[in-house]
Amino acid sequence: MSQVSQTADWKQRRADNVSLAPRISEDWLSLIIGLGIFALALVSLLGFDVIGWVVNTSIWNDPGKALAPVAKAYASLGGAGAFVTTYIALLAVLSAAAAALGANARKFALAFTVVFWLAYGAWIVGSYANFAVVTPADFQKFGISWSLKLTNEGGYIFALVAGLIIANAFPRFAEWIREGVRPELYIKIAIVILGGALAVTAAGRLTLASSLLLRGIAAIIEAYLIYWAVVYFVARKWFGFSREWAAPLASGISICGVSAAIATGGAIRARPAVPVVVSSLVVIFAVVEVLILPFVAQTFLSHEPLVAGAWLGLAIKTDGAAVASSGITESLILAKAAAEGIKYQPGWILGTTTTVKIFIDIFIGIWAFVLGYIWTNYIDVRKDKAKASEIWQRFPKFIIGFVVTFAVGLVLALGTGPAITSKLPAAMGEANTFRVIFFILTFFSIGVLSNFKRLWAEGVGKLAAVYFISLFGFVIWVGLLISWVFFAGVKPPLAS
Amino acid sequence: MPKVNVADELRNAPVEPLLPIEKKLIGWSLGTGIVLLIVLGIVNHLFPV
Repeated sequence: MSQVSQTADWKQRRADNVSLAPRISEDWLSLIIGLGIFALALVSLLGFDVIGWVVNTSIWNDPGKALAPVAKAYASLGGAGAFVTTYIALLAVLSAAAAALGANARKFALAFTVVFWLAYGAWIVGSYANFAVVTPADFQKFGISWSLKLTNEGGYIFALVAGLIIANAFPRFAEWIREGVRPELYIKIAIVILGGALAVTAAGRLTLASSLLLRGIAAIIEAYLIYWAVVYFVARKWFGFSREWAAPLASGISICGVSAAIATGGAIRARPAVPVVVSSLVVIFAVVEVLILPFVAQTFLSHEPLVAGAWLGLAIKTDGAAVASSGITESLILAKAAAEGIKYQPGWILGTTTTVKIFIDIFIGIWAFVLGYIWTNYIDVRKDKAKASEIWQRFPKFIIGFVVTFAVGLVLALGTGPAITSKLPAAMGEANTFRVIFFILTFFSIGVLSNFKRLWAEGVGKLAAVYFISLFGFVIWVGLLISWVFFAGVKPPLAS
Repeated sequence: MPKVNVADELRNAPVEPLLPIEKKLIGWSLGTGIVLLIVLGIVNHLFPV
Protein backbone atom coordinates (compact mmCIF):
# COMPACT_ATOMS: atom_id res chain seq x y z
CA MET A 1 0.00 0.00 0.00
CA SER A 2 1.36 3.41 -0.87
CA GLN A 3 2.04 6.07 1.67
CA VAL A 4 -0.80 8.09 0.27
CA SER A 5 -3.34 5.36 0.68
CA GLN A 6 -1.97 4.37 4.05
CA THR A 7 -1.98 7.89 5.37
CA ALA A 8 -5.43 8.17 4.09
CA ASP A 9 -6.53 5.13 6.00
CA TRP A 10 -6.75 6.97 9.31
CA LYS A 11 -7.89 10.18 7.66
CA GLN A 12 -10.66 8.23 6.08
CA ARG A 13 -11.60 6.82 9.42
CA ARG A 14 -11.63 10.34 10.83
CA ALA A 15 -13.49 12.32 8.29
CA ASP A 16 -15.84 9.68 7.13
CA ASN A 17 -16.79 8.59 10.60
CA VAL A 18 -20.23 8.43 9.03
CA SER A 19 -19.64 4.85 8.05
CA LEU A 20 -16.10 3.80 8.81
CA ALA A 21 -15.62 4.68 12.47
CA PRO A 22 -14.57 1.62 14.46
CA ARG A 23 -15.80 2.07 18.05
CA ILE A 24 -15.34 5.77 18.46
CA SER A 25 -14.17 8.45 16.05
CA GLU A 26 -10.90 10.36 16.31
CA ASP A 27 -12.99 13.51 16.78
CA TRP A 28 -14.72 12.23 19.91
CA LEU A 29 -11.46 10.82 21.26
CA SER A 30 -9.67 14.14 20.86
CA LEU A 31 -12.56 15.81 22.65
CA ILE A 32 -12.40 13.31 25.55
CA ILE A 33 -8.60 13.50 25.94
CA GLY A 34 -8.52 17.29 25.62
CA LEU A 35 -11.31 17.74 28.17
CA GLY A 36 -9.60 15.22 30.47
CA ILE A 37 -6.36 17.22 30.49
CA PHE A 38 -8.30 20.45 30.96
CA ALA A 39 -10.25 18.97 33.89
CA LEU A 40 -7.06 17.70 35.55
CA ALA A 41 -5.56 21.17 35.21
CA LEU A 42 -8.61 22.64 36.96
CA VAL A 43 -8.09 20.33 39.94
CA SER A 44 -5.16 22.57 40.91
CA LEU A 45 -7.71 25.31 41.66
CA LEU A 46 -8.71 23.16 44.65
CA GLY A 47 -5.13 23.08 45.88
CA PHE A 48 -4.08 19.71 44.41
CA ASP A 49 -1.66 19.98 41.52
CA VAL A 50 -2.07 16.69 39.65
CA ILE A 51 -0.38 17.50 36.31
CA GLY A 52 2.42 19.83 37.39
CA TRP A 53 4.92 17.08 36.47
CA VAL A 54 4.49 17.70 32.73
CA VAL A 55 7.81 18.53 31.11
CA ASN A 56 8.58 22.07 30.02
CA THR A 57 11.57 23.18 27.92
CA SER A 58 13.45 26.42 28.43
CA ILE A 59 16.02 28.03 26.17
CA TRP A 60 19.34 26.44 27.11
CA ASN A 61 23.03 26.25 26.49
CA ASP A 62 23.58 23.82 29.34
CA PRO A 63 21.70 20.60 28.45
CA GLY A 64 21.12 19.92 32.14
CA LYS A 65 18.92 23.01 32.35
CA ALA A 66 16.83 22.41 29.24
CA LEU A 67 14.06 20.39 30.86
CA ALA A 68 12.07 20.82 34.06
CA PRO A 69 8.62 20.01 35.42
CA VAL A 70 6.25 22.90 34.75
CA ALA A 71 5.31 23.26 38.45
CA LYS A 72 7.81 23.94 41.22
CA ALA A 73 5.93 21.50 43.44
CA TYR A 74 7.36 18.71 41.28
CA ALA A 75 10.91 20.13 41.08
CA SER A 76 12.30 17.02 42.80
CA LEU A 77 11.47 15.00 39.67
CA GLY A 78 14.11 16.89 37.71
CA GLY A 79 14.04 17.44 33.96
CA ALA A 80 14.65 13.81 32.99
CA GLY A 81 12.05 12.58 35.48
CA ALA A 82 9.46 15.03 34.16
CA PHE A 83 10.22 14.00 30.59
CA VAL A 84 9.87 10.27 31.30
CA THR A 85 6.73 10.81 33.38
CA THR A 86 5.18 12.86 30.56
CA TYR A 87 6.12 10.21 28.02
CA ILE A 88 4.63 7.37 30.11
CA ALA A 89 1.41 9.30 30.76
CA LEU A 90 0.91 10.16 27.09
CA LEU A 91 1.88 6.66 26.02
CA ALA A 92 -0.77 5.15 28.29
CA VAL A 93 -3.55 7.56 27.28
CA LEU A 94 -2.82 7.58 23.55
CA SER A 95 -2.31 3.80 23.36
CA ALA A 96 -5.76 3.37 24.90
CA ALA A 97 -7.06 5.88 22.34
CA ALA A 98 -5.41 3.98 19.49
CA ALA A 99 -6.96 0.74 20.74
CA ALA A 100 -10.36 2.43 20.83
CA LEU A 101 -9.80 3.51 17.23
CA GLY A 102 -9.28 -0.11 16.30
CA ALA A 103 -5.49 0.15 15.88
CA ASN A 104 -3.00 -2.36 17.25
CA ALA A 105 -2.18 -0.79 20.64
CA ARG A 106 1.20 -2.54 20.92
CA LYS A 107 2.26 -1.41 17.47
CA PHE A 108 1.03 2.08 18.26
CA ALA A 109 2.93 2.16 21.56
CA LEU A 110 6.19 1.27 19.80
CA ALA A 111 5.64 3.79 17.03
CA PHE A 112 4.50 6.50 19.42
CA THR A 113 7.60 5.98 21.54
CA VAL A 114 9.78 6.74 18.52
CA VAL A 115 7.58 9.66 17.43
CA PHE A 116 7.56 11.21 20.90
CA TRP A 117 11.29 10.90 21.54
CA LEU A 118 12.31 12.14 18.10
CA ALA A 119 9.78 14.97 18.02
CA TYR A 120 10.56 16.16 21.52
CA GLY A 121 14.28 15.74 20.84
CA ALA A 122 13.92 18.07 17.85
CA TRP A 123 12.01 20.52 20.06
CA ILE A 124 14.83 20.50 22.63
CA VAL A 125 17.40 21.13 19.87
CA GLY A 126 15.25 24.05 18.66
CA SER A 127 15.45 25.58 22.14
CA TYR A 128 19.24 25.73 22.02
CA ALA A 129 20.30 29.31 22.82
CA ASN A 130 22.03 29.91 19.50
CA PHE A 131 18.84 28.99 17.67
CA ALA A 132 16.23 30.53 19.94
CA VAL A 133 17.52 33.62 21.76
CA VAL A 134 16.04 36.90 20.56
CA THR A 135 16.46 39.72 23.08
CA PRO A 136 19.74 41.50 23.96
CA ALA A 137 19.15 40.59 27.61
CA ASP A 138 19.09 36.91 26.72
CA PHE A 139 22.21 37.25 24.55
CA GLN A 140 23.93 38.54 27.67
CA LYS A 141 22.33 35.94 29.94
CA PHE A 142 23.52 33.03 27.80
CA GLY A 143 26.85 34.66 26.90
CA ILE A 144 26.39 34.24 23.13
CA SER A 145 27.21 36.57 20.25
CA TRP A 146 24.88 35.18 17.55
CA SER A 147 21.48 33.51 17.27
CA LEU A 148 19.09 32.47 14.53
CA LYS A 149 16.45 34.27 16.60
CA LEU A 150 13.86 31.59 15.93
CA THR A 151 12.45 31.95 19.48
CA ASN A 152 11.51 29.03 21.68
CA GLU A 153 8.73 28.11 19.26
CA GLY A 154 11.27 27.62 16.45
CA GLY A 155 11.48 24.08 17.80
CA TYR A 156 8.31 23.35 15.82
CA ILE A 157 10.29 23.95 12.63
CA PHE A 158 12.96 21.55 13.86
CA ALA A 159 10.31 18.91 14.56
CA LEU A 160 8.82 19.43 11.10
CA VAL A 161 12.21 19.19 9.40
CA ALA A 162 13.03 16.04 11.40
CA GLY A 163 9.79 14.50 10.13
CA LEU A 164 10.52 15.58 6.56
CA ILE A 165 13.99 14.02 6.68
CA ILE A 166 12.53 10.74 7.90
CA ALA A 167 9.77 10.76 5.27
CA ASN A 168 12.08 11.48 2.36
CA ALA A 169 15.40 9.90 3.34
CA PHE A 170 14.15 6.93 5.38
CA PRO A 171 10.75 6.03 3.89
CA ARG A 172 10.80 2.49 5.34
CA PHE A 173 11.35 3.87 8.81
CA ALA A 174 8.56 6.39 8.19
CA GLU A 175 6.33 3.47 7.25
CA TRP A 176 7.32 1.62 10.42
CA ILE A 177 6.32 4.48 12.72
CA ARG A 178 3.21 5.36 10.75
CA GLU A 179 0.84 3.99 13.39
CA GLY A 180 2.02 6.72 15.78
CA VAL A 181 1.81 9.46 13.16
CA ARG A 182 -1.62 10.99 13.73
CA PRO A 183 -1.46 14.74 13.17
CA GLU A 184 -5.24 15.22 13.11
CA LEU A 185 -5.69 13.54 16.50
CA TYR A 186 -2.83 15.50 18.07
CA ILE A 187 -3.92 18.90 16.78
CA LYS A 188 -7.53 18.39 17.77
CA ILE A 189 -6.52 17.52 21.34
CA ALA A 190 -4.32 20.63 21.32
CA ILE A 191 -7.18 22.84 20.09
CA VAL A 192 -9.54 21.53 22.78
CA ILE A 193 -6.93 22.36 25.45
CA LEU A 194 -6.24 25.72 23.83
CA GLY A 195 -9.85 26.87 24.47
CA GLY A 196 -9.20 27.29 28.22
CA ALA A 197 -5.99 29.28 27.76
CA LEU A 198 -7.62 31.54 25.17
CA ALA A 199 -10.57 32.15 27.51
CA VAL A 200 -8.22 33.42 30.21
CA THR A 201 -6.59 35.72 27.65
CA ALA A 202 -9.95 36.87 26.27
CA ALA A 203 -11.39 37.55 29.74
CA GLY A 204 -8.97 40.45 30.16
CA ARG A 205 -10.29 42.22 27.05
CA LEU A 206 -13.79 40.92 26.43
CA THR A 207 -14.79 43.65 23.95
CA LEU A 208 -11.77 42.97 21.78
CA ALA A 209 -12.38 39.22 21.96
CA SER A 210 -16.02 39.51 20.89
CA SER A 211 -15.03 41.87 18.11
CA LEU A 212 -12.58 39.23 16.83
CA LEU A 213 -15.37 36.67 16.86
CA LEU A 214 -17.55 38.94 14.71
CA ARG A 215 -14.71 39.49 12.26
CA GLY A 216 -14.28 35.72 12.02
CA ILE A 217 -17.55 35.63 10.06
CA ALA A 218 -15.69 37.22 7.13
CA ALA A 219 -13.43 34.16 7.08
CA ILE A 220 -16.39 31.82 6.64
CA ILE A 221 -17.76 33.81 3.71
CA GLU A 222 -14.35 34.01 2.10
CA ALA A 223 -13.49 30.32 2.42
CA TYR A 224 -16.83 28.81 1.38
CA LEU A 225 -18.28 31.31 -1.05
CA ILE A 226 -15.29 33.03 -2.67
CA TYR A 227 -12.37 30.60 -2.56
CA TRP A 228 -14.40 27.48 -3.32
CA ALA A 229 -16.18 28.95 -6.33
CA VAL A 230 -12.98 30.32 -7.88
CA VAL A 231 -10.89 27.18 -7.32
CA TYR A 232 -13.67 24.93 -8.62
CA PHE A 233 -13.97 27.09 -11.72
CA VAL A 234 -10.19 27.08 -12.29
CA ALA A 235 -9.98 23.31 -11.86
CA ARG A 236 -12.94 22.60 -14.13
CA LYS A 237 -12.58 25.26 -16.83
CA TRP A 238 -8.84 25.89 -17.11
CA PHE A 239 -7.47 22.47 -16.17
CA GLY A 240 -10.32 20.29 -17.41
CA PHE A 241 -10.73 18.26 -14.21
CA SER A 242 -13.77 16.05 -13.83
CA ARG A 243 -16.33 17.02 -11.20
CA GLU A 244 -15.26 14.09 -9.03
CA TRP A 245 -11.75 15.56 -8.73
CA ALA A 246 -12.58 19.27 -8.88
CA ALA A 247 -15.01 19.38 -5.92
CA PRO A 248 -12.76 17.74 -3.26
CA LEU A 249 -9.80 19.69 -4.65
CA ALA A 250 -11.69 22.99 -4.34
CA SER A 251 -12.72 22.14 -0.79
CA GLY A 252 -9.18 21.08 0.13
CA ILE A 253 -7.65 24.31 -1.14
CA SER A 254 -10.43 26.61 0.04
CA ILE A 255 -11.77 25.39 3.33
CA CYS A 256 -9.70 23.45 5.80
CA GLY A 257 -7.71 20.96 3.85
CA VAL A 258 -7.89 17.32 4.74
CA SER A 259 -11.22 17.28 6.60
CA ALA A 260 -12.95 19.36 3.93
CA ALA A 261 -11.61 17.29 1.03
CA ILE A 262 -12.73 14.05 2.66
CA ALA A 263 -16.12 15.43 3.73
CA THR A 264 -16.75 16.73 0.20
CA GLY A 265 -15.56 13.49 -1.39
CA GLY A 266 -18.01 11.56 0.78
CA ALA A 267 -20.84 14.00 0.10
CA ILE A 268 -20.57 13.88 -3.69
CA ARG A 269 -20.03 10.11 -3.56
CA ALA A 270 -16.52 10.29 -5.08
CA ARG A 271 -14.32 7.21 -5.00
CA PRO A 272 -12.43 7.11 -1.65
CA ALA A 273 -9.05 7.42 -3.38
CA VAL A 274 -9.90 10.87 -4.75
CA PRO A 275 -10.07 12.88 -1.51
CA VAL A 276 -7.18 10.82 -0.20
CA VAL A 277 -4.84 11.98 -2.97
CA VAL A 278 -6.08 15.56 -2.53
CA SER A 279 -5.45 15.31 1.23
CA SER A 280 -1.86 14.25 0.67
CA LEU A 281 -1.37 17.27 -1.54
CA VAL A 282 -2.90 19.53 1.11
CA VAL A 283 -0.38 18.28 3.67
CA ILE A 284 2.58 18.83 1.33
CA PHE A 285 1.55 22.41 0.55
CA ALA A 286 0.89 23.08 4.24
CA VAL A 287 4.48 22.05 4.96
CA VAL A 288 5.77 24.54 2.39
CA GLU A 289 3.58 27.28 3.84
CA VAL A 290 4.63 26.55 7.42
CA LEU A 291 8.27 26.89 6.45
CA ILE A 292 7.70 30.25 4.72
CA LEU A 293 4.67 32.18 5.98
CA PRO A 294 5.60 32.75 9.67
CA PHE A 295 8.77 34.50 8.55
CA VAL A 296 6.92 36.48 5.86
CA ALA A 297 4.39 37.51 8.52
CA GLN A 298 7.15 38.57 10.90
CA THR A 299 8.84 40.62 8.17
CA PHE A 300 5.82 42.39 6.73
CA LEU A 301 3.03 42.19 9.31
CA SER A 302 4.75 42.69 12.65
CA HIS A 303 2.95 46.04 13.04
CA GLU A 304 -0.40 44.38 12.35
CA PRO A 305 -0.21 41.23 14.50
CA LEU A 306 -3.87 40.28 14.23
CA VAL A 307 -3.85 40.66 10.45
CA ALA A 308 -1.02 38.11 10.53
CA GLY A 309 -3.07 35.79 12.75
CA ALA A 310 -6.16 35.96 10.53
CA TRP A 311 -4.09 35.61 7.37
CA LEU A 312 -2.48 32.37 8.56
CA GLY A 313 -5.91 30.97 9.37
CA LEU A 314 -7.08 31.76 5.85
CA ALA A 315 -3.93 30.82 3.96
CA ILE A 316 -2.76 27.58 5.58
CA LYS A 317 -5.19 24.83 4.82
CA THR A 318 -4.90 22.31 7.59
CA ASP A 319 -5.92 23.09 11.16
CA GLY A 320 -2.73 21.63 12.53
CA ALA A 321 -0.35 23.54 10.31
CA ALA A 322 -2.31 26.80 10.58
CA VAL A 323 -2.76 26.89 14.34
CA ALA A 324 0.71 25.58 15.11
CA SER A 325 2.43 27.92 12.66
CA SER A 326 0.49 30.74 14.28
CA GLY A 327 2.29 29.78 17.50
CA ILE A 328 5.62 30.30 15.71
CA THR A 329 4.41 33.55 14.15
CA GLU A 330 3.20 34.91 17.47
CA SER A 331 6.55 34.19 19.01
CA LEU A 332 8.44 35.80 16.12
CA ILE A 333 6.24 38.92 15.98
CA LEU A 334 6.20 39.40 19.75
CA ALA A 335 9.98 39.12 19.80
CA LYS A 336 10.34 41.68 17.01
CA ALA A 337 7.89 44.05 18.68
CA ALA A 338 9.68 43.63 22.02
CA ALA A 339 12.95 44.60 20.33
CA GLU A 340 11.18 47.82 19.28
CA GLY A 341 9.98 48.42 22.82
CA ILE A 342 6.39 47.18 22.34
CA LYS A 343 5.36 44.33 24.61
CA TYR A 344 2.17 42.72 23.36
CA GLN A 345 0.22 40.31 25.52
CA PRO A 346 0.74 36.77 24.19
CA GLY A 347 -2.17 34.65 23.03
CA TRP A 348 -3.98 37.09 20.73
CA ILE A 349 -2.37 36.15 17.42
CA LEU A 350 -2.81 32.45 18.18
CA GLY A 351 -6.36 33.19 19.33
CA THR A 352 -7.18 34.99 16.08
CA THR A 353 -5.91 32.14 13.91
CA THR A 354 -7.77 29.59 16.01
CA THR A 355 -11.00 31.60 15.85
CA VAL A 356 -10.76 31.85 12.07
CA LYS A 357 -10.08 28.11 11.75
CA ILE A 358 -12.80 27.06 14.17
CA PHE A 359 -15.35 29.30 12.43
CA ILE A 360 -14.45 27.76 9.08
CA ASP A 361 -14.52 24.21 10.47
CA ILE A 362 -18.00 24.60 11.92
CA PHE A 363 -19.57 24.82 8.47
CA ILE A 364 -17.87 21.84 6.84
CA GLY A 365 -20.88 19.61 7.42
CA ILE A 366 -23.34 22.14 6.04
CA TRP A 367 -21.24 22.86 2.96
CA ALA A 368 -20.73 19.14 2.30
CA PHE A 369 -24.49 18.67 2.57
CA VAL A 370 -25.16 21.52 0.10
CA LEU A 371 -22.74 19.96 -2.39
CA GLY A 372 -24.10 16.48 -1.74
CA TYR A 373 -27.66 17.71 -2.32
CA ILE A 374 -26.73 19.36 -5.64
CA TRP A 375 -24.69 16.38 -6.81
CA THR A 376 -27.14 13.64 -5.92
CA ASN A 377 -30.18 15.56 -7.20
CA TYR A 378 -28.90 17.38 -10.28
CA ILE A 379 -25.51 16.11 -11.42
CA ASP A 380 -25.13 12.44 -10.59
CA VAL A 381 -28.80 11.66 -9.91
CA ARG A 382 -29.08 8.57 -7.71
CA LYS A 383 -31.25 6.93 -5.07
CA ASP A 384 -28.56 7.38 -2.43
CA LYS A 385 -29.40 11.08 -1.93
CA ALA A 386 -27.73 13.42 0.55
CA LYS A 387 -29.54 13.55 3.89
CA ALA A 388 -29.65 16.41 6.41
CA SER A 389 -28.43 14.01 9.12
CA GLU A 390 -25.04 13.99 7.36
CA ILE A 391 -24.51 17.56 8.60
CA TRP A 392 -24.19 16.34 12.17
CA GLN A 393 -22.31 13.20 11.17
CA ARG A 394 -19.65 15.31 9.44
CA PHE A 395 -19.57 18.02 12.11
CA PRO A 396 -16.06 18.16 13.62
CA LYS A 397 -16.89 17.14 17.20
CA PHE A 398 -13.64 18.39 18.71
CA ILE A 399 -15.05 21.91 18.26
CA ILE A 400 -17.53 21.08 21.04
CA GLY A 401 -14.53 20.44 23.29
CA PHE A 402 -13.01 23.79 22.34
CA VAL A 403 -16.28 25.59 23.08
CA VAL A 404 -16.60 23.82 26.46
CA THR A 405 -13.04 24.64 27.63
CA PHE A 406 -13.42 28.21 26.38
CA ALA A 407 -16.77 28.67 28.17
CA VAL A 408 -15.59 27.10 31.42
CA GLY A 409 -12.36 29.12 31.33
CA LEU A 410 -14.34 32.33 30.72
CA VAL A 411 -16.82 31.61 33.55
CA LEU A 412 -13.98 30.88 35.96
CA ALA A 413 -12.05 33.99 34.91
CA LEU A 414 -15.02 36.35 35.11
CA GLY A 415 -17.44 34.77 37.55
CA THR A 416 -15.30 33.70 40.49
CA GLY A 417 -13.45 35.44 43.29
CA PRO A 418 -9.75 36.26 43.58
CA ALA A 419 -9.04 32.91 45.30
CA ILE A 420 -9.79 31.14 42.00
CA THR A 421 -8.79 33.77 39.45
CA SER A 422 -5.32 34.10 40.96
CA LYS A 423 -4.70 30.37 40.44
CA LEU A 424 -6.35 30.12 37.03
CA PRO A 425 -3.43 31.32 34.84
CA ALA A 426 -1.10 28.75 36.44
CA ALA A 427 -3.66 25.97 35.97
CA MET A 428 -4.18 26.91 32.32
CA GLY A 429 -0.40 27.19 31.95
CA GLU A 430 -0.04 23.53 32.93
CA ALA A 431 -2.71 22.47 30.44
CA ASN A 432 -1.04 24.68 27.86
CA THR A 433 2.23 22.80 28.33
CA PHE A 434 0.42 19.69 27.11
CA ARG A 435 -0.93 21.77 24.22
CA VAL A 436 2.65 22.62 23.22
CA ILE A 437 3.59 18.93 23.28
CA PHE A 438 0.66 18.06 21.02
CA PHE A 439 1.72 20.86 18.66
CA ILE A 440 5.22 19.34 18.52
CA LEU A 441 3.76 15.90 17.75
CA THR A 442 1.59 17.48 15.05
CA PHE A 443 4.50 19.19 13.33
CA PHE A 444 6.63 16.06 13.39
CA SER A 445 3.74 13.94 12.10
CA ILE A 446 3.01 16.33 9.23
CA GLY A 447 6.66 16.06 8.23
CA VAL A 448 6.61 12.26 8.33
CA LEU A 449 3.56 12.19 6.06
CA SER A 450 5.22 14.40 3.45
CA ASN A 451 7.02 12.07 1.09
CA PHE A 452 7.46 14.34 -1.92
CA LYS A 453 8.95 11.70 -4.19
CA ARG A 454 6.24 9.13 -3.64
CA LEU A 455 3.47 11.65 -4.06
CA TRP A 456 5.00 12.82 -7.33
CA ALA A 457 5.09 9.19 -8.50
CA GLU A 458 1.31 9.08 -8.04
CA GLY A 459 1.12 11.52 -10.95
CA VAL A 460 -0.22 14.52 -9.06
CA GLY A 461 1.59 17.10 -11.22
CA LYS A 462 -1.57 18.59 -12.71
CA LEU A 463 -3.37 18.59 -9.34
CA ALA A 464 -0.35 20.28 -7.79
CA ALA A 465 -0.43 22.89 -10.55
CA VAL A 466 -4.04 23.81 -9.72
CA TYR A 467 -3.16 23.86 -6.05
CA PHE A 468 -0.09 26.01 -6.63
CA ILE A 469 -1.86 28.51 -8.89
CA SER A 470 -4.90 28.77 -6.63
CA LEU A 471 -2.94 28.99 -3.39
CA PHE A 472 -0.12 31.32 -4.36
CA GLY A 473 -1.95 33.21 -7.09
CA PHE A 474 -5.23 33.79 -5.32
CA VAL A 475 -5.95 32.31 -1.88
CA ILE A 476 -2.96 33.85 -0.11
CA TRP A 477 -3.50 37.33 -1.55
CA VAL A 478 -7.26 37.48 -1.15
CA GLY A 479 -6.78 36.13 2.38
CA LEU A 480 -4.32 38.92 3.07
CA LEU A 481 -6.66 41.55 1.63
CA ILE A 482 -9.66 40.38 3.66
CA SER A 483 -7.56 40.03 6.81
CA TRP A 484 -6.31 43.55 6.27
CA VAL A 485 -9.79 44.97 5.68
CA PHE A 486 -11.22 43.36 8.82
CA PHE A 487 -8.28 43.23 11.24
CA ALA A 488 -5.98 46.15 10.37
CA GLY A 489 -5.59 48.59 13.24
CA VAL A 490 -6.86 46.08 15.82
CA LYS A 491 -3.90 45.51 18.12
CA PRO A 492 -3.41 42.99 20.92
CA PRO A 493 -3.42 44.56 24.39
CA LEU A 494 -0.05 45.50 25.84
CA ALA A 495 1.40 43.22 28.49
CA SER A 496 1.19 44.76 31.94
CA MET B 1 -8.00 0.91 -1.40
CA PRO B 2 -7.21 0.82 -5.11
CA LYS B 3 -4.18 2.78 -6.25
CA VAL B 4 -4.83 5.76 -8.46
CA ASN B 5 -2.35 7.23 -10.88
CA VAL B 6 -3.75 10.68 -11.22
CA ALA B 7 -1.81 11.55 -14.37
CA ASP B 8 -3.11 8.49 -16.25
CA GLU B 9 -6.61 9.02 -15.01
CA LEU B 10 -6.72 12.67 -16.00
CA ARG B 11 -5.25 11.91 -19.41
CA ASN B 12 -7.92 9.31 -20.14
CA ALA B 13 -10.85 11.10 -18.52
CA PRO B 14 -13.71 12.13 -20.82
CA VAL B 15 -14.34 15.86 -21.11
CA GLU B 16 -17.07 17.05 -18.74
CA PRO B 17 -18.35 20.49 -19.78
CA LEU B 18 -19.68 22.78 -17.05
CA LEU B 19 -23.37 22.06 -16.50
CA PRO B 20 -25.84 24.90 -15.92
CA ILE B 21 -26.20 23.82 -12.27
CA GLU B 22 -22.43 24.12 -11.78
CA LYS B 23 -22.43 27.58 -13.36
CA LYS B 24 -25.27 28.54 -11.02
CA LEU B 25 -23.37 27.22 -8.01
CA ILE B 26 -20.24 29.16 -8.94
CA GLY B 27 -22.13 32.35 -9.80
CA TRP B 28 -24.38 32.35 -6.74
CA SER B 29 -21.49 31.51 -4.39
CA LEU B 30 -19.32 34.30 -5.73
CA GLY B 31 -22.15 36.82 -5.92
CA THR B 32 -23.45 36.08 -2.42
CA GLY B 33 -19.92 36.02 -1.03
CA ILE B 34 -18.97 39.39 -2.47
CA VAL B 35 -22.22 41.04 -1.36
CA LEU B 36 -21.89 39.63 2.19
CA LEU B 37 -18.26 40.73 2.44
CA ILE B 38 -19.21 44.25 1.35
CA VAL B 39 -22.05 44.36 3.92
CA LEU B 40 -19.72 43.05 6.64
CA GLY B 41 -17.05 45.56 5.60
CA ILE B 42 -19.56 48.42 5.91
CA VAL B 43 -20.74 47.17 9.33
CA ASN B 44 -17.11 46.86 10.40
CA HIS B 45 -16.43 50.41 9.21
CA LEU B 46 -19.50 51.92 10.87
CA PHE B 47 -19.06 50.09 14.18
CA PRO B 48 -15.34 49.83 14.81
CA VAL B 49 -13.90 48.22 17.98
